[in-house]
Amino acid sequence: MPRGSSQSQASSGSTSRPSPMGMAPRGSAAATAGMRRRRLGGGSSASTSSGVGGGASGSNMLRFYTDDAPGLKISPTVVLVMSLCFIGFVTALHVFGKLYLHKSGPGA
Amino acid sequence: MGGGFRVLHLVRPFLSFLPEVQSADRKIPFREKVIYTVISLFIFLVCSQLPLYGIHSTTGADPFYWMRVILASNRGTVMELGITPIVTSGLVMQLLAGSKIIEVDNNVREDRALLNGAQKLLGILIAVGEAVAYVLSGMYGSVGQLGVGNAVLIIIQLCFAGIIVICLDELLQKGYGLGSGISLFIATNICENIIWKAFSPTTVNSGRGAEFEGAVIALFHLLITRTDKVRALREAFYRQNLPNVTNLLATVLIFLIVIYFQGFRVVLPVRSKNARGQQGSYPIKLFYTSNMPIILQSALVSNLYFISQLLYRKYSGNFIVNLLGKWKESEYSGQSVPVGGLAYYITAPSSLSDIVTHPFHGLFYIVFMLSACALFSKTWIEVSGSSARDVAKQLKEQQMVMPGHRESNLQKELNRYIPTAAAFGGICIGALTVLADLMGAIGSGTGILLAVTIIYQYFETFEKEKASELGFFGF
Repeated sequence: MPRGSSQSQASSGSTSRPSPMGMAPRGSAAATAGMRRRRLGGGSSASTSSGVGGGASGSNMLRFYTDDAPGLKISPTVVLVMSLCFIGFVTALHVFGKLYLHKSGPGA
Repeated sequence: MGGGFRVLHLVRPFLSFLPEVQSADRKIPFREKVIYTVISLFIFLVCSQLPLYGIHSTTGADPFYWMRVILASNRGTVMELGITPIVTSGLVMQLLAGSKIIEVDNNVREDRALLNGAQKLLGILIAVGEAVAYVLSGMYGSVGQLGVGNAVLIIIQLCFAGIIVICLDELLQKGYGLGSGISLFIATNICENIIWKAFSPTTVNSGRGAEFEGAVIALFHLLITRTDKVRALREAFYRQNLPNVTNLLATVLIFLIVIYFQGFRVVLPVRSKNARGQQGSYPIKLFYTSNMPIILQSALVSNLYFISQLLYRKYSGNFIVNLLGKWKESEYSGQSVPVGGLAYYITAPSSLSDIVTHPFHGLFYIVFMLSACALFSKTWIEVSGSSARDVAKQLKEQQMVMPGHRESNLQKELNRYIPTAAAFGGICIGALTVLADLMGAIGSGTGILLAVTIIYQYFETFEKEKASELGFFGF
């Protein structure tokens, strides 16, 4: 009886915390080491990825938008074309305004 | 961080409507970057010359006269608002995030995206608000004169111009261009202003015959036409109402001083942990925060002026409004100038003799400038992620250590330099601004300081780009 109980204790101990002898404890130590390694790996990769972001934002004082945000994606060419269209639009307004005024001026 | 209501999440429904420039998915060659930058600059310059359609008049007091130079805006043109929306919204968001009023976890991708979105949304809202305020306050003639259609057209033009500036800035920052749009536009505007004041060929008649506006042209014109050469020289150097040669020389002097100071730095040696023998250095500059303190300071002051002027026009009898600022039209230019209250005391004295006659004003102004710059500088390193803690983290991630110091000591060691450099650099920037203002440098002290620091940054960027390009080919 006492033997049996000690055996059961040992087996239970092997699962919960490593003890100096027996096969099971060694296995668990290896498992924890593996887990630690994995956690380390995961941690380091996460920190490097965040570090890249931090570095980019810290490199220039005036950078406000550095990250990608979900939104209406437009390519840089579209921005430039849009701006030129806007300039054209305002110019056209001026031209039409002048024409319209000249037409309506004598009439009014 | 735990759940609950967060202000930032209010932005989420709008995110999908905000224009967003794609990030560069490849490395943009240097030449292409230059082309993008030049085109953006061209668009900006055209916009700042193109008059708004539908405006009636641009006469009358200009509440933003003081800040035109810094905010890269031009009266009566499409760029009326300039970069005000972006700078103000950026400032507000950074300060809110820095003071923890909005909680942002910089390590969470979604939070950063939301913060950017919030900044952009606020920028657009500010553009709309300012456009409406400009039109309704009768800056281009009263609404009745303009007609409702034209008033709406003006608002649309101003808003769209604001959106374009935001997009151009984003385009340049996302790696398609050099530097940032804001600094590029500010520097261009100031340089344009200085060149114009030096070489402007327009003539002004101020009762003593026609005089050229440009300082250099006026110098030669006076020397050639006047018979008394000594008096002509004195006139060219000291005329009060128009830019004179002393102003020009002061500008050049400030340029040189700032460039000289840019070289001041403490170099900390760092060593790589992995690659043995790989030495590096981490320079901490005297101007650690560069021009940020003055940008923040001028944004604060310009908003204060604007509010104070609006209030003064409506309720000039109120005690508190008068405490904030009293305004009077100047005889020379028809601009409103502060003559009392807080607004007066934070305005630069017009000359050295003005300081002698109003010593308290001068003293208050100097103390205000220095302390505001130091304070903003210290706040900025925390907000922008360049404080000792962040730098230590970055160095650790790059596996860099300081020889002779333990890894855990890195932050303490950096802490000895960075806050001091930030505060002292801020004070120096403030002092140089005061100096430039007192010497009457063209385009205000703030403007010059901004221009020089930005141009210097551009030089550094150019060098770095060239070096990395060469490095790539060298491999």
